[in-house]
Amino acid sequence: MHELGVVIEVIKTVEQLMKEHQLTEVATIVLQIGELSSMIPRFVQDCYPAAVDGTLLEKTTLEIEILTTNALCQGCGKVYPVVAHQGVCPHCGSTRRELLGGREFLIKEIIAC
Amino acid sequence: MNDFRILTIKASVFADNDARADELRKQLKDDKVFLLNLMSSPGSGKTTTLERTIETIGEELSIGVMEADIDSDVDARTIGETGAKVIQLHTGGMCHLDAQMTSQGLAGLGTEGLDLVVLENVGNLVCPAEFDTGASKNAMILSVPEGDDKPLKYPLMFTICDVLLINKIDAMDFFDFDLEACTRRARALNPDIQVIPICAKTGEGIDRWVTWLKEEIKNWNA
Repeated sequence: MHELGVVIEVIKTVEQLMKEHQLTEVATIVLQIGELSSMIPRFVQDCYPAAVDGTLLEKTTLEIEILTTNALCQGCGKVYPVVAHQGVCPHCGSTRRELLGGREFLIKEIIAC
Repeated sequence: MNDFRILTIKASVFADNDARADELRKQLKDDKVFLLNLMSSPGSGKTTTLERTIETIGEELSIGVMEADIDSDVDARTIGETGAKVIQLHTGGMCHLDAQMTSQGLAGLGTEGLDLVVLENVGNLVCPAEFDTGASKNAMILSVPEGDDKPLKYPLMFTICDVLLINKIDAMDFFDFDLEACTRRARALNPDIQVIPICAKTGEGIDRWVTWLKEEIKNWNA
């Protein structure tokens, strides 16, 4: 359970953005989390109210998008969603692969004024 | 009515840590210091393996150890007795080390004249895998009593490690540990992972582990 520390990082980053862009209110923060990230979306949502408590983002809602992780098969050169196929290429059966991302934990966008 | 607009950010929350880790790795390479990030569950034998490793190569290489724990200094005392330079890092409740903490630890330890620094990470198969410490290579220990299904349960850890030490192989007869299945599961996640069965207590397999380590240090300094 290390989500809280990371969510606090998110809050700090957004507060910094508010300063840079001279924003007064943030309605929504949209996060993107890769399928292979160990940040569990549900836990991120759960600890979010604690992380924003007493900050400028107290009333901001959090949205999370899950990013599908693709792999480039080293056997046949095709791209496939790695989690859905448990790391086995559906085209040729090879397990040799290059992951094309997967551990993303991004602030995609904020909706603010 | 306020005029809300969408600001596209696309900022990685790990970007800071990743950048710091890359910077640290570059510094270590320039200084010809090899940093090994050693990870495992609690009780898998990190400290005993380290003692055995220092005993085997301590005369050839100058070694420093950073012991990361939530609390206490029992591991640092044990390692201190081997003659290696050691520092205890307290994470203050954190379940892992990040690049900044590693960097502070290295500064506290003092790396001048050291060939190899081992970071004994917090005993945990989950969080340490997520944070790049800036290490030259990542190693993990899985001990026989923990079971051969761990690659299935903690895939990221097995994905990011360069070498997997399977420890306590002297206890193989008492547990249903399938070495072949464990190796297959680890390789399915990470085809390049080196799997080395060892027994830190008796010294079995330590020569193979030490050969791997020395080779990696040589490549690091090349």
